[in-house]
Amino acid sequence: MSRRLASLKAGTAALAIGVALMVSSAAEAAKVRVVYGDIPSVESLHLLAAFERAKEKGVDIEMTYLKSEDIAAQAVVGGQADIGVGGPYALVQKVKAPIRMFMQLSTLRFYPAVNGEFYKTWKDLNGQEVAVHSRGSGTEAIMKLMEQRQGIKFSKISYIPGAEVRTGALLQGNVKASIVDSSGRRLLETQAPGKFIILPLEGVNATDEALFANTNFLEKNAADVDKIVEAIITTWREVTEKPSVVTEWRAKYKLLPDLPAAQVNEIGPYFEELAKGKAFPLSGGGAVAAKDDFAFYTLSGQLTGEPASLKVEDFWDTRPLDRVLAKVGTK
Amino acid sequence: MASSQVNGPARAVHSPAGWGLSLGRLFTQHPIASRVVSLGLFFLMWEIAGRVPISYAFPTFLETLSAFVTMLFDGSLFVAYGSTLQPLIIGIAISGVVGVALGIVMGLSRTAEWLVAPLFIVLQSAPMAALIPLITFVYGIGLAAKTLAVIMLALPVIVLNGYKAVRNANPSLVAMCYSFQGTKLQQIAKIIIPDASPVIFAGLRLGLAAGFIGVILAELLITPTGIGDLITYHRSVANYAEMYAAVVSIILVSTLTLAALEAFEVRVLRPEKRRG
Repeated sequence: MSRRLASLKAGTAALAIGVALMVSSAAEAAKVRVVYGDIPSVESLHLLAAFERAKEKGVDIEMTYLKSEDIAAQAVVGGQADIGVGGPYALVQKVKAPIRMFMQLSTLRFYPAVNGEFYKTWKDLNGQEVAVHSRGSGTEAIMKLMEQRQGIKFSKISYIPGAEVRTGALLQGNVKASIVDSSGRRLLETQAPGKFIILPLEGVNATDEALFANTNFLEKNAADVDKIVEAIITTWREVTEKPSVVTEWRAKYKLLPDLPAAQVNEIGPYFEELAKGKAFPLSGGGAVAAKDDFAFYTLSGQLTGEPASLKVEDFWDTRPLDRVLAKVGTK
Repeated sequence: MASSQVNGPARAVHSPAGWGLSLGRLFTQHPIASRVVSLGLFFLMWEIAGRVPISYAFPTFLETLSAFVTMLFDGSLFVAYGSTLQPLIIGIAISGVVGVALGIVMGLSRTAEWLVAPLFIVLQSAPMAALIPLITFVYGIGLAAKTLAVIMLALPVIVLNGYKAVRNANPSLVAMCYSFQGTKLQQIAKIIIPDASPVIFAGLRLGLAAGFIGVILAELLITPTGIGDLITYHRSVANYAEMYAAVVSIILVSTLTLAALEAFEVRVLRPEKRRG
């Protein structure tokens, strides 16, 4: 008898919790839940600032940080989040997930770095081993693209996840040729000036991160989406004009208050370099970016089929961007 | 499937009685039949769940099966297991030798027990998935780190099983050895270790099962190689059927290996179990 009572109690408790969860999720329906597949860092400060500005315009944004981009995409597909950050091309093409990208946040910024004692140019890498992030990653696609363009052939592509790990391996001499990110590049230049050569990389334009959401959400929350897109585009333009403004925003909106001093000093140079390199998409990507991505991601294996046969509208919803650009102008 | 023979030879079924009864008898006399039905039902549920679908990322059973067959024939599974088995075999070999030796010493000596047992009891209950990334801080991302991950999971099970087996060796057998004026060495080599060997072997089997978990954790958390690479790669390009096929292949390989070991154990070390 007592056991039955206990199970009844447990059942009631479970029911109560379930109802409470449903009620709370209904109450928060007005919130825009954004999922980010990484921990917040210096590299996402400008995005956090842009979200703060969208909040000022009346969009209630709730950020959640997940372990990987992949899980963020699943959360959006599953309806547990509204907007994700990433480039879910494969997910859209292969499982026909009803999600669309609506704004490009950044393009891939990587720097092929080689040890100057051994190699000087791309041609020197013919028949040599290079290290990239992982199979099917953007870094691998970049290296394969350069292999094609330069008419060379690597003997082997090895996989070392994490740009900071590859930077460390280059510095220690375990790896002679690899591809690193901008902070890795700066580390190479400060730790071993003149030892490493950054090989030229031209015409590689692919989305690194974009905002995406369920088609349903994009239809129903057009006003909120427009405000977010506008906030980001204006933020990106301001950062490009005056990179140091990011530090001011950090203070104003109290972003990443626990950042260690060494990383605080990184903020200035990081945005300075990106602004100089015109790394921030000032018009949100759209169809032009999608076409570039088709070419790049078919090469990396994320997308299959002929790039020319892929349709922009299957991956992107450009309407929010069109509306905002009509208002703020194209750059 | 080797273990199915363990429960006795198959006998013919002649049942004039109704369906329910004959089905029940079929299951008791052919244990393999119940297993096939159970698996079949599971696959059916999977297929239905995949067709509903419960998630865009959840493939049906048939899609997964076809991906599995494709990966089997294009050789990618074999290549993957070639590199996955490397740290697994090295790690299990080290854990086996060190673990059995340590277990026996701990079983025989109270001092050794006090010194070492707490460490392994703590290790056994530690959240290994959280500890494995720490290995990389010391041992980097190569074979050594992965082998260590296997050892961290396999060793405690093997040590603790060995130690309990030796400690709980049949006292009347030990007393018999004593009354026949057996030396201490004879007592250990001829009575205690043979008596403990079935449980030690069971510990090795459980250690291998833990080693499988360790190597897959290492491949997912340290660097993607072998089967861990297949899982992460297919996940990153949204080939979910291939991803599930890789996961299922691990379950299949570890189940078959463990079943074979169990059959060996029952046949060679515990003949009394065969009659049961």
